[in-house]
Amino acid sequence: MLGLMTVDSAGDLAPPAPASKEELLVQVARGDQSAFGELYDQIAPRVLGLVKRLLVDHAQSEEVTQEIFLEIWQSAARYESSRGGASTWILTMAHRRAVDRIRSSQAGRDRDTKIGIRDLAVAYDHVAETVEVRIEHERVEKAMTRLTQLQRQAVSLAYYGGLSHSEVADMLQIPLGTVKTRLRDGLIRLRDELGVAS
Amino acid sequence: MSRSDEQNPADLAGAYALHALDADDMAIFEAHLAESKEARIEAAELTDIAVALGLAVAPVQPSDAVKANLMAMLSSTPQLPPLPASRTTSPSAMDVAAADPGASPAGPSVATATPGTEGPAATGAGTTAEPRPESDIHSGNASSTPRPSTATERAQARWFKRPSQFILAIAAAVALFVGGISLGQALNSNEFKSQQAASLAQINAANDSQRAATTTVDGQEVTLVWSNTLGISALLVDNLPALPSDQDYQLWYMNDGDATSAGTFDSSGDGTVWRVLDGTMHTGDQVGVTVEPTGGSDQPTSNPIVALQS
Repeated sequence: MLGLMTVDSAGDLAPPAPASKEELLVQVARGDQSAFGELYDQIAPRVLGLVKRLLVDHAQSEEVTQEIFLEIWQSAARYESSRGGASTWILTMAHRRAVDRIRSSQAGRDRDTKIGIRDLAVAYDHVAETVEVRIEHERVEKAMTRLTQLQRQAVSLAYYGGLSHSEVADMLQIPLGTVKTRLRDGLIRLRDELGVAS
Repeated sequence: MSRSDEQNPADLAGAYALHALDADDMAIFEAHLAESKEARIEAAELTDIAVALGLAVAPVQPSDAVKANLMAMLSSTPQLPPLPASRTTSPSAMDVAAADPGASPAGPSVATATPGTEGPAATGAGTTAEPRPESDIHSGNASSTPRPSTATERAQARWFKRPSQFILAIAAAVALFVGGISLGQALNSNEFKSQQAASLAQINAANDSQRAATTTVDGQEVTLVWSNTLGISALLVDNLPALPSDQDYQLWYMNDGDATSAGTFDSSGDGTVWRVLDGTMHTGDQVGVTVEPTGGSDQPTSNPIVALQS
């Protein structure tokens, strides 16, 4: 028990001040369970919101969210702050896992077919729950209006629909090469509109 | 792919950031990323845009059970070390562990692969399942050096050279529980799985965590990990053949000619099967595995397929 107690007592000494997600990730990487709990509280609703946006089914989305947070726990030491913020790291992982789940299940395929382009219409229908989310939501929505319709459809189907670029091509009935350039041009336009350019 | 060869790989940057590439195009684009700093910068920027799209989605509060489940799993979920060098993509634990080759598969065997010099002395011995007093466990008189044998040394060298893969394999095994996919081994209930995983993690986290390894004569790698202060051990076997339905593998603690049952398990025949032994391990115990009728026997009725000296 000695080894475990040593680890635990180190975790008990965590400072009480609220920590940034980046700081929390560093603590999580050292095995700090309370830091993990705090990080979870801060960002789990974001993760589940995004995953559920792709998967629709609530129970399955919670299951994937749980997997994502376990991966965060396991690989926190691999987060490199020099390569971006903690939210970027976590939401990128969350999106990838949601997409993985769609691609690995027939349920995902059926969902794609059922939802299809209709999904685009509700892409921004969610009621934003906080000022922070609402501002970000409106900012993105405004930037999306700067895209051509084809760019917007392609980006939405890929990101919110979790479709691969060839599935987007099938759905929009345009050549794959066109989808590739629309996705890239669309994101570059969004980058310029959102002011994230370096 | 020919369709992609016609295109500039840089065009894939958008689909890459949106996780919309298939495997072939992903390989093409990652090769491009490796060559081009510009491409890496663009990929990072477009990934930020994808995240902005994600942050525009309304949050959804998970049910309390999700956090409760997670917090309960942390202590039994080993953490990965930092990547030694920066990479364009970070593989998940599962990806890495999946690349870990197991031992070559082999047919069932009841041969003895004893690393120690004593042999399976416990076979057929009388019943004494009485646990020893706790004070013995804290004596600190650990036999940290297993009795030498070429098999043990070779196998130990293999594991000690690959500590990260070892941990990753465990991480992957634990992660399998989470996905709701049973290992299909001896683990029947969630509670049992979680206790098993927690105990395995405790052994690995203990200051006096030790391991010994050997192979069966059929070449299956067998590893014993244990902590004398905790008094628990776990056995891991690669590609252990599946048994007919009327038989189980049974674990034994063996000491001074006495064998104490430490639980049963079965194996699907491939991958790593592992089991934390029931009961208390005492310093110097041997751990053996026999094939017994389903449900196990009071005492071993066959020769061990493997025995390891702690």
